[in-house]
Amino acid sequence: MTAQEYAFTVLAVIGAIAAIAVVTARNVVHAALYLVVTLASVGGVYLVLSAEFVAWVQILIYVGAIVILFLFGLMLTKAPIGRDALDNEHQWVPMMVSGGVFAGLVFLIDRAFHLDSRARFAAFPAPTARVGDSLFRGFVLPFEAVSFLLLAALIGAVVLARKDEAK
Amino acid sequence: MDLLDWVLLVARVVIVFFALLIVVMVLIWFERKVVADMQTRVGPMRAGPRGVLITLADGVKLFFKEGITPTNADRPVYAIAPILAMFPAFLAFAVIPFGTHVHVFGRDVPFQLADINIGILWVLAMASPNVYGIVLAGWSSGSNYPLLGSVRSSAQMISYEVGMGLSLVAVLMYSGHLSMTAIVDQQAGVFHLLGLGWLPFPRWNFVPQFPAFVVYLICSLAETNRPPFDLAEAETELVAGFHTEYSGIKFAMFYLGEYVNTVTVAAIAVTLFLGGWRGPAYPAVIHWFWPLLWFLLKLVLVMYVYVLIRATLPRMRYDRLMSFGWKVLIPFGLVWVLATGAVVVLPEVYGRRAVLVGAAAILGTVLLVSSLPALFTAGKKEQVRS
Amino acid sequence: MLRDYLPVVLLAALAVAFAVASMTASRLLGPNRPDPVKLSAYECGNEPIRLPKGEKFGVKFYVVAMLFIIFDIETIFLFPWAVTFRTLGLFGLVEMAIFIGLVFVAYVYVWKKGGLDWAEGQGPASVREARAAAEADLGEAARAR
Repeated sequence: MTAQEYAFTVLAVIGAIAAIAVVTARNVVHAALYLVVTLASVGGVYLVLSAEFVAWVQILIYVGAIVILFLFGLMLTKAPIGRDALDNEHQWVPMMVSGGVFAGLVFLIDRAFHLDSRARFAAFPAPTARVGDSLFRGFVLPFEAVSFLLLAALIGAVVLARKDEAK
Repeated sequence: MDLLDWVLLVARVVIVFFALLIVVMVLIWFERKVVADMQTRVGPMRAGPRGVLITLADGVKLFFKEGITPTNADRPVYAIAPILAMFPAFLAFAVIPFGTHVHVFGRDVPFQLADINIGILWVLAMASPNVYGIVLAGWSSGSNYPLLGSVRSSAQMISYEVGMGLSLVAVLMYSGHLSMTAIVDQQAGVFHLLGLGWLPFPRWNFVPQFPAFVVYLICSLAETNRPPFDLAEAETELVAGFHTEYSGIKFAMFYLGEYVNTVTVAAIAVTLFLGGWRGPAYPAVIHWFWPLLWFLLKLVLVMYVYVLIRATLPRMRYDRLMSFGWKVLIPFGLVWVLATGAVVVLPEVYGRRAVLVGAAAILGTVLLVSSLPALFTAGKKEQVRS
Repeated sequence: MLRDYLPVVLLAALAVAFAVASMTASRLLGPNRPDPVKLSAYECGNEPIRLPKGEKFGVKFYVVAMLFIIFDIETIFLFPWAVTFRTLGLFGLVEMAIFIGLVFVAYVYVWKKGGLDWAEGQGPASVREARAAAEADLGEAARAR
């Protein structure tokens, strides 16, 4: 195994364990923290694949912004301060749904990429300039569409907040 | 990599880590002395000559204090939070070039821990674990004041992170590089101010990017919870804020993290806007020493500005702080980014003269249009008064 | 490229080791005399309780976090653009101006809706009312004179 493959294995194991911990954690804030570990390990995998820009974007957006939003939401509404636990009793349905999705994904990936134990690890270095070039030359329309998405999200955020305040 | 490379690498990391600790120690003393001076006090005097060891004494004191973990606290998270608040600042410093390089044992050892390709993005990414330190400290304490304080100051930090990101983008656009080393290289050489041949000025980014520099300085104060944005430790309303329940060495970790963070943001300001380690002269004797000296001098200068701001300005009110961040810094940052883009791109397309004339025309129209309502309302006010 | 991150990993390990070691050493060397009062949360002697049921505080904080995500994403898109905009020329500039412009429209909407205001009743509508009231007062005072 090459150094990259070792790094990938370690990151994948950490990420998978943390992902399981997300759903088994008794405390919602702990679950959010395990989610951070999972997301960061995905960032690490991008880094191992030499996708430096994407890796740090993953950290910045998911770890730095989205989980912070979760934490704010939890802390300001549900999460008990300190040590109390919170648990959900309906665990069977999500378990079956996620199991089904997992099996489907394994099947699809196996069909699409012909999983081969001899497949070698290959990294394609993608400097930020190249990312920019393909994004702003090749994907102009999707890029502008993103701004519509952001616009909708921003308006949605305010509308939701107003509704909440009115209650 | 052979053994010698590894030894040099580890030595470099260890030296930078402890050097940073020492710099932080001295700068805390420096800050306390300057603030004392401005309030006509003498400041710390007892520990060491003129009190220079005061920080060490404080650290040792906190080290031997009892560490209290409140009954209500969530123990693992309560223990992790101070670490999360401390180490990102060190990591962000890793990409700062604080000198050139030194030749030892036949190897070139750079005065920079890691020249990461995406240096600026790295700096921004390291601001996020910091927020976690504060949010988790507040939540895990199991007490209401820290929770309120932590949510409040993390909202402040993420708000100003956007402004900071925008100022970094402006620098990036101007210099065209993401790597810190490349940005320092881009700032080599001199301008001739006003087109005068005899008035050379170093080609540092803070001249063409002055608005971005100001935005960066303001945001860096808010990011590190320094006065006048130190709402994280508003004693008067929150009994301290997120670290109310922390004591002993864990409190010391927050304190250390805050100051390492301050040094790091100052070092980033030096690197991105003030030419990094570049200085007026590099005499031939001990060639590695001079860049390091220039870097440290600039670092002290930026710190001095931070301390002056702390000593002069009162703490901001929270609603003003947030609306300043969202209503002033962010739109200004966005406009400045587009303006930088226009200034760089348009002359290449239309030629310099056409752009100047066009810009003057637009500016004139904007001024005229914006002054019209003012004229009308001025008339109205007169009517009301009469 | 991964080798660039080696010093960073070492530094992170050193910083965490330093923190853990000093925290452990402090626990071993420092005094440890807990008592229930000392270990209770700071609340002037009361047991800390959460806000009463049904009471919510700070939807604003939640809104700020959402706004932050959106502007963070916008900033992220600026990074690759800032590296390449010289080669893209006018096309790139216009492209980004449209992008920023669209988000700016939403930003103005949020501002007008009072999403960026902190103090209660600081929204533009109430400001207008307050201003109108103040002006009416002024006018009355003038007439009285």
